Amino acid sequence: MLYLSRMLGKPVVDATGEEIGTVYDIAIATGEIFPRVTALAFLGPGKTPFMLSWRKYVEAFDDERITLNAARDALRFSYLQPDEVLLHRDLLNKQIVDTQGMKVVRVNDLKLSESKNQLRLLGAEVGVRGVLRGISPALESAVGWLAARLGAPLGENLIAWNYMDLLDRDLGHVKLSVTHKRLHELHPADVADILERLNPTQRGNVFDHLDNALAAEAISEMEDEYQADVVGDLTNQRASDILELMDPDDAADIIGDLPYDTAERLLRLMGLKEQRAIRKLLGYKDKTAGGIMTPEFTTVTEEMTAEQVIEHLRSEAAESETIYYIYVIDDDGTLAGVISLRDLILARADTKVEAIVERDVMSVDVDDDQEKVADLMSKYDLLAVPVVDETGKILGIVTVDDALDVMEQESAEDLALATGARRRFDTSGVWSWIGHRSSWLTVWIVLGIAGALVLRAFAGLLSTFVVAAFFIPLVLRLSEEIANHALGVLIEGDETPVSFARRLGLDAIVGLGLGIVSGLIALAVLQGVREPLASSLAVAAALALTIFAMTLVSATFPALLRRAEGDGWRASSSLVTTAMAAAGVAVYLGLALVLVRAAGS
Amino acid sequence: MMERLKRINPRWAAVLAFLAVIGPGIITANVDNDAGGIATYSIAGASFGYTLLWSLIPITIALIVVQEMASRLGVMTGKGFADLIREKWGIRVTFYLMIALLFVNLSNTMAEFAGWAGSMEIFGVSKFVSVPIAALVVWLLVVRGSYNSVEKIFLFFTVIYVTYVISGFLARPDWGLALHQTLVPPISFKVTYWVTLVGVIGTTIAPWMQFYLQSAVVEKGIKPKDYTASATDVIVGCIITDVVAMFIIVACAATLNKHGITVSSAENAALALEPLAGKYASVLFAIGFANASLFAASILPLSTAYTVAEGLGWESGVNRTFGEAPQFNWIYTGMIFLGASAIILIPQRLLIPVIFGSQVLNGVLVPVTAFFALRLVNDRSLLGEHVNGRWYNYLAWASVLACSAAAIFMMITALFPGLMPS
Repeated sequence: MLYLSRMLGKPVVDATGEEIGTVYDIAIATGEIFPRVTALAFLGPGKTPFMLSWRKYVEAFDDERITLNAARDALRFSYLQPDEVLLHRDLLNKQIVDTQGMKVVRVNDLKLSESKNQLRLLGAEVGVRGVLRGISPALESAVGWLAARLGAPLGENLIAWNYMDLLDRDLGHVKLSVTHKRLHELHPADVADILERLNPTQRGNVFDHLDNALAAEAISEMEDEYQADVVGDLTNQRASDILELMDPDDAADIIGDLPYDTAERLLRLMGLKEQRAIRKLLGYKDKTAGGIMTPEFTTVTEEMTAEQVIEHLRSEAAESETIYYIYVIDDDGTLAGVISLRDLILARADTKVEAIVERDVMSVDVDDDQEKVADLMSKYDLLAVPVVDETGKILGIVTVDDALDVMEQESAEDLALATGARRRFDTSGVWSWIGHRSSWLTVWIVLGIAGALVLRAFAGLLSTFVVAAFFIPLVLRLSEEIANHALGVLIEGDETPVSFARRLGLDAIVGLGLGIVSGLIALAVLQGVREPLASSLAVAAALALTIFAMTLVSATFPALLRRAEGDGWRASSSLVTTAMAAAGVAVYLGLALVLVRAAGS
Repeated sequence: MMERLKRINPRWAAVLAFLAVIGPGIITANVDNDAGGIATYSIAGASFGYTLLWSLIPITIALIVVQEMASRLGVMTGKGFADLIREKWGIRVTFYLMIALLFVNLSNTMAEFAGWAGSMEIFGVSKFVSVPIAALVVWLLVVRGSYNSVEKIFLFFTVIYVTYVISGFLARPDWGLALHQTLVPPISFKVTYWVTLVGVIGTTIAPWMQFYLQSAVVEKGIKPKDYTASATDVIVGCIITDVVAMFIIVACAATLNKHGITVSSAENAALALEPLAGKYASVLFAIGFANASLFAASILPLSTAYTVAEGLGWESGVNRTFGEAPQFNWIYTGMIFLGASAIILIPQRLLIPVIFGSQVLNGVLVPVTAFFALRLVNDRSLLGEHVNGRWYNYLAWASVLACSAAAIFMMITALFPGLMPS
């Protein structure tokens, strides 16, 4: 096995045994899975690089030197061919896309292997081993030995040539092997994932090599926060071409996020039809049925026959997002019913639409919340649902792919609200952040400051009170636990219904145990740091009582919450945690204050 | 959606285009006046009066040169500083540089937590309580991805630095003496003078700033055609930083130095604001100092983790888990943990010396990183026509040499105190 890092800088010796330079680079032919080494570049006297054909001149090579089969004067130098890639210049230390692992990685070393008198590139080493070898081969063997002893041997992390895509150098004109997988052959969703990991410049380079159709699909698959940036970075003509290829609802989402003048410019570059569709969609509010619907759908009238409808689909509906449902409208465009593709195909050719139409059609209002739309589609297993205005006129349809996006988004939001975690896609303003997003962090900060101020106020009066502050985090954590438990019970429902009195009794016992244990630990800790016994006892008792009280509250909480559930429990979930935290700390501090004072007197 | 498409007056559009590029330079400059900065300038003013004021003029020039080069490299190549070093010099050089940067940045992170501890001490909150809370908040800010929203709050509070300018005037400094000592530098050969000078250099032109600024410029995707606006952003930021620095020194010289008070604690340093704020000086100082510390403490570990991961080719990103990007997450978490723990463990009286020491380390590393930047910025295969011009190059090399000279001179005076006339 040979590594490029070990070959670079090694002497190149000619047939007479004279050293004529040092190894500078190695070129490979790119057409194969394990590409052949085709040329050797070496630094001659005066730091001038020369290139030689590997096949013609290299006699032997090992870790120490490369020996040529001709004398210096007999060498004929060559040039880099268009289909060749230089390992050092183009690959070593560069970032590449691993199209198998779908990652952007840095090449730490390149592994070569000799087979049938030919040197071939096995792959790029992207793991820790390559880093260590690059620093010092001795370090690599030392760490490798140690790791093996510890039972976690350092593996090699090789990426074969056919799974590499170069970011810095355009491979567009290079002839690649059939199996070479490049970015543009991946699924658009995977391309989107990789693009999100690149910086804007690299992203621009990659986009230059994608055709418009794939670019459009990849952008649709990206997270919302990247979409506008990516489109904004493209040239106007290309951006508008790509947006035209996207479903109008997706395109409208992106355009809505662009600055006004950019958006205007892009819209004007589009075809009239696409432009009109997108402008119309832009008029609807975000996060409503109107905001996620597409205007591309198929309608028929009741007088048509099944054959006519199928003919109509063939000729008109190529652009529709879905043709599984065909909506039936009357003369003024009001939604009158729906026929499924199944019914249509099963019907005889001359059957009139009115005979197979399902008049009881599910529809949503244009201003309905997107989550309601998604819920409806999920409940009735619909692939699409029509969106109507107040007069019942059909404006567009929401398809299942958009509904799935909504559900993912909403469930992430629910999760964020229920746990206080904040997800990346939600980077709205500062105030909404403070208001209710990352509720826990806010609570921590506010309570931390409030606590410090309270402590400061009483510091002179009760020096032992500072000690009480040590347990505030514990009380906060406990409050969070209890609030989450209560919310969990509420969300999932109680599995085994027990009578309220029995639950209260059980929780009282648990709370008592928990309280006593925590109190004892606190007492031990406080005694450990030599606090006076009286105040230690007071703080420990306050902690124990708080825990007991909070556990009792947690037993009654779900029942109380369920009663208060009504419409907006999601809005109240962060409120619940906040309230629990505030209550917990207040109870604890109050108890501690009273008890410490009592103990002091 | 329509609400977002508000009509914008075309004249404002030009301003907006400029504002879109604005940011990295000014933010970096504001973080530059972190706990280390405020403490070091205070020490310089308190211990040496106006005699170090002159140094801010060459330092500002050097700062602008170094930062402008970093942002130019970022805009023209679209790559981070560590990225470019790795691609030009290979893994070994990158590795040792990253180790040095990791060490120096860790000491800077310690300084930020020390600054936080010092300011909370003024409010009567023990460091045993304040530092763990700060560490947790900083860690969560990034892990939960809320840093971007909080950045604006931090930035807003840096307005507090204006109080130094006002206080500097109210303290009635001897402007004649200040001007004289700026124009005719009264150079001393005391070890402490040189150590303080290197500290001032190190705190103003910190190595991490080059990495941070260049990454921020790349991340923002600023195009070569917008380079002028980006350079303006950098230059304005640098000048603001150093004007604030100058007034901190003046305010401290006119108050602390006049009464022979040295900066041994945050409480002492706060006295410089007394002419403006009277008995509330310490509260005002503590808020500004705490904000600066927390601001920089949020940026430093993160920026270090990004830089090291970038240089050594590891997965990075705040939304990657420990399993997906172990090195990145461990560096980030480790720096916060070690930085905070160190401050909890060291005695109270060492807080200010720790802060100061970290800035001296910066001063030693900065000639090295500036040297790399200078080599990169003259590489025609990277920048093409945007390489340094001849005179600009002289200025840049002079800056690097001057910083190196100060660092070397400091070591000589420290190692062989007898050598210099006192």
